[in-house]
Amino acid sequence: MNSNDRDQALIKRCKQGDREALEKLVGLYQKPVYNAAYRILGNPDDAADTTQVVFMKAFEHLDKYDPRYRFFSWIYRIAINEAINLFKRGKNQQPLDDSEVAGTRGPDASVEAGDLSREIQGGLMKLTEDYRTVVVLRHFSECSYRQISEILEIPEKTVKSRLYSARQIMKEMLQSRGVY
Amino acid sequence: MLDEHTLDLINADIDGELTPEESQELDATLEVSEEARAMRSELLRLSNLLDNQPAMQPPSDLSTKIMQQLLPQASKTRFSLAGWFSSFQPATAGVAFAAGLLATISFYELSQPGNTGLDTAGMVGTMVANPEGLSGEQTDIFSIAEKGVTGTVSLQTGNDYFTLEFDLDSDDPIEIEVDFAEAGLGFGGIAHAVIGTEETDQSYEVAGGALRVVNQGRQAFTVFLRRVAENGNAGREINVVVSSGGAPVVTGALRG
Repeated sequence: MNSNDRDQALIKRCKQGDREALEKLVGLYQKPVYNAAYRILGNPDDAADTTQVVFMKAFEHLDKYDPRYRFFSWIYRIAINEAINLFKRGKNQQPLDDSEVAGTRGPDASVEAGDLSREIQGGLMKLTEDYRTVVVLRHFSECSYRQISEILEIPEKTVKSRLYSARQIMKEMLQSRGVY
Repeated sequence: MLDEHTLDLINADIDGELTPEESQELDATLEVSEEARAMRSELLRLSNLLDNQPAMQPPSDLSTKIMQQLLPQASKTRFSLAGWFSSFQPATAGVAFAAGLLATISFYELSQPGNTGLDTAGMVGTMVANPEGLSGEQTDIFSIAEKGVTGTVSLQTGNDYFTLEFDLDSDDPIEIEVDFAEAGLGFGGIAHAVIGTEETDQSYEVAGGALRVVNQGRQAFTVFLRRVAENGNAGREINVVVSSGGAPVVTGALRG
């Protein structure tokens, strides 16, 4: 049984009120959903809140899920939308402080190993939401172009275009900060 | 300055999305272009940096919080939809659902077979449990404590309806037959909820004025019966037979 067949079987059981199936689905997807949300939001607390909302919405609308599509695409779509929405709301209220996510290092400074993750997350946060989303799905959620296209409901050509541009921007950003 | 096509090939190569023909084309370009090789090296390094970032660990209590949200009644093992059923009108059911019954996550499925006398067109989908809404009165109950089958069956009586609440646990598949026609009752629907985490299985059919449910494992389910005749048998007696392997295990009558 592949992962999609497994998910379909679990969903069927969920719809019948099977709590164990529900727990399995939550167990399977809470970490990937949390990670995607964290990379988009840059904040663990917001990522945890988003993850809870994602599961609430997913199971609230389980009857609308179309089994012709993969469940992970569906739940990722909800996750991305929720994270982006929360990010936009937070951005309007509280401008992102560069120093909080990427430090204040100049191009000549070296990067301590412990700071690398913070630099990368800081670089991600400087991308537009469209660009950040494709980078997150490709590099942190390990999705293929086709899967990203399915999740975001955009053509593969657009996925490539956004991803390539985003990587170019990140490369130059991280190089200028002496990350590599 | 590299042309866009070469950049596209380099990026697709890094993502493992090149066709064999494109791969050959890129190899040929890399062989002759130092700039292309440098770009590929830089993008590959970035890609590796991103790919190798450790996954974040969600808070240890996150899944518990999610489950608590999804199952606000998780600690309850019994439920009743009788309060909802008492106000059920097929014509307005859709509105009721839209108004909010479906707005909350739900794990209790209400469904009905097509061969009932009741127009239950609106009784599809899922809905929340409404344990606070029970307005009927428990009028009868019997317990089952047989080898391989344990539990209770109780009857709640309202003004226009009856609900039979089953809370059973069986090792093997059991057949439950509920004869309601003689009591002047019609089938209104069935709702079930899995209790605990054990594997369960259930199917049902309605025919000839009786409901037959095949059940295995631990399950609670409620059968809705509505008054369809002024006079039923004495005391509106509903006969319940629980069988295993074709042989009756227990027979009981519930009076409303």
